[in-house]
Amino acid sequence: MQPTHTRLDATGAEEADRLLEVRELKTHFFADEGVVRAVDGVNLSLKRGQTLCVVGESGCGKSVTARSILRIVPSPGEIVAGEILFRQRDGNTVDLAEMNPKGREIRRIRGGEISMIFQEPMSSLSPVHTIGSQIMEAILLHLPVTRQEARKRAAYMLDLVGIPRANEQLDAYSFELSGGMRQRAMIAIALACEPQLLIADEPTTALDVTTQANILDLIRDLQQDSGMSVLFITHDLGVVAEIADEVVVMYLGRDVESGDVDSIFHEAKHPYTRALLQSIPRYDSRDNQRLYSIKGTVPHPFDRPNGCPFHPRCDDFIAEQCNRIDPPRQRLGGEHSVRCLLYATADEAPINKEMRT
Amino acid sequence: MNSETGIKPADSSVEALLEVRNLHMQFPIRRGAFRRTVGFVKAVNDVSFHIRPGETLSLVGESGCGKTTTGRCIVRVYEPTSGQILYQADERERIDLAGLDNRDLRPFRREIRMIFQDPFSSLNPRLSILQIVGESLKVNQVASGSELEDQVAALLRRVGLRPEYIRRYPHAFSGGERQRIGIARALALNPRLIVADEAVSALDVSVQAQILNLLQDLQEELDLTYLFIAHDLSVVEHISHRVAVMYVGKIVELAATEDLFRNPLHPYTEALLSAVPKPDPRLRNKGVRIRLAGEVADPSNPPGGCYFHPRCPYAEERCRQEAPAVREVGRDRWVACHFAEELDLQGFEAIG
Repeated sequence: MQPTHTRLDATGAEEADRLLEVRELKTHFFADEGVVRAVDGVNLSLKRGQTLCVVGESGCGKSVTARSILRIVPSPGEIVAGEILFRQRDGNTVDLAEMNPKGREIRRIRGGEISMIFQEPMSSLSPVHTIGSQIMEAILLHLPVTRQEARKRAAYMLDLVGIPRANEQLDAYSFELSGGMRQRAMIAIALACEPQLLIADEPTTALDVTTQANILDLIRDLQQDSGMSVLFITHDLGVVAEIADEVVVMYLGRDVESGDVDSIFHEAKHPYTRALLQSIPRYDSRDNQRLYSIKGTVPHPFDRPNGCPFHPRCDDFIAEQCNRIDPPRQRLGGEHSVRCLLYATADEAPINKEMRT
Repeated sequence: MNSETGIKPADSSVEALLEVRNLHMQFPIRRGAFRRTVGFVKAVNDVSFHIRPGETLSLVGESGCGKTTTGRCIVRVYEPTSGQILYQADERERIDLAGLDNRDLRPFRREIRMIFQDPFSSLNPRLSILQIVGESLKVNQVASGSELEDQVAALLRRVGLRPEYIRRYPHAFSGGERQRIGIARALALNPRLIVADEAVSALDVSVQAQILNLLQDLQEELDLTYLFIAHDLSVVEHISHRVAVMYVGKIVELAATEDLFRNPLHPYTEALLSAVPKPDPRLRNKGVRIRLAGEVADPSNPPGGCYFHPRCPYAEERCRQEAPAVREVGRDRWVACHFAEELDLQGFEAIG
């Protein structure tokens, strides 16, 4: 069996193409009641110009992973292990996990090289500043421009994200905009300094489907024009199918399966991924057909199961194995990898039926 | 408004359990020091539909379209501005809930219950599960003491919770379990109609599947009728028999689920269906993508003619001038569009 921290080898050319690589990241919260291992060994890798979706249910650590990358994990959370390798614009690769979260280096990266948009645009925009001044703040902080130039750029950004009458809207406050327009304004702020990486944490969850479709189109168009990479966090598998190039499925702080979007949807290996896919209502399902549902619930963060964290809810649970052995990350070919004992053998053949209970 | 255009049961042999006729709900906009009324938000604007016993009718639409307000009028949280809510109380009697006062409403409050969206704010954190679920039994003097406990335990078992949890408080439960508690509370008095307002929207997919299955099982076992208010069309497609699409306080289309998803007749329905993300990457960029420009109309100041015309890709001069009435275009199919017959609109099938 391979050690858990197997490095996925990559050729030199691939390496140059890689913008972000997170290796065995662990972010724990040291609460009075005990330690919450919110992120407990996550690997992900994002190429230039691509979209990586991190998908999972609430409490799986997807948002904490994103916040760890930007080093904005709230106290008492701390990165305790792992690397976050990020290739800067100047070509140097830096480890964000080693940086001082309040230091100059990371502040230059935040907003400049990596930007983030959040789920609730109302609570992430300032109600007492105009939209224009919030965009200009980001521009003035990172680019060597005058206030006038910054204002011009702010108007250009609002226009770019499809806000009508951009020049007038610069002086509008966030509460004067509708939900979709607010999310557009957030995107304008995030993209004002042309970041290499946009982290989007459930940016469309609070929006209507029609608005969601428009925002997804917008992110996709902007990405095509600028070549930025997107790390998209969502729980909606429909959204994943629409926009992802690569997918990481998380469960209880682990990347249980990762791969390109087609393998995840059509050759899912991990029982959790398969269960998630089966539990979404689909158009082809006949009337009165029951949905597949995963038994039990996500365990409380303080009593995390031993072995594979999914074993108490897993249909393919192997007694005396899954509850003891922490499954290693197994590469299945290409970028597809999975953490499950069913695939632990080298030839990726599932374990014989007799061994299952 | 013309009152002849209400949606009536297509099959008159099946009596509707509930019939809503020309329902209006207006909220006054007050301004200034004297709180003078300067206008009205027409949250529900001449809505008519009926629900047959044992069926699930879904109300869908974007936020602000009036679907929640309609639900709240039916459970009489709000007193409708005008219109009728006819409830088939027993074989003979049909009662208009819209006109009743609180006292006369009491017997019907047992029969029409509600499940709420957010399982975290809809349960009182200071009450135990016994108190939450048992409250209506106690208030209506159905049971007390150990009998009450037995009944609550039976209700918990029915919704898939362990009866040992009866003395616990809501904080000890996960989102899905809390939603089950909310369902147990709604079931306590053997209701006939349940208004489920976004009952699964706040839940994770795996939990959502559990709750949807539970709702379907309960419907079969207890012969329940659901008014299911939701914005997630894949969930709606799965659970409903018929679907009503609302836009700015009006029903624009009402049809059997399969007809509506396969062959929508209103451009707004088509746009909604087109916006739903398909859970299969191979369908990406397949089919026609319709993206609505602009914003949902302001219900206090809606545009003239058809409310949807400023965003409608097929709008013509007539749509700007004349508001389309809801009309019957086939068996159990109702649509409010001048060009419903001429347009060839894309359903889910064309894409999926």
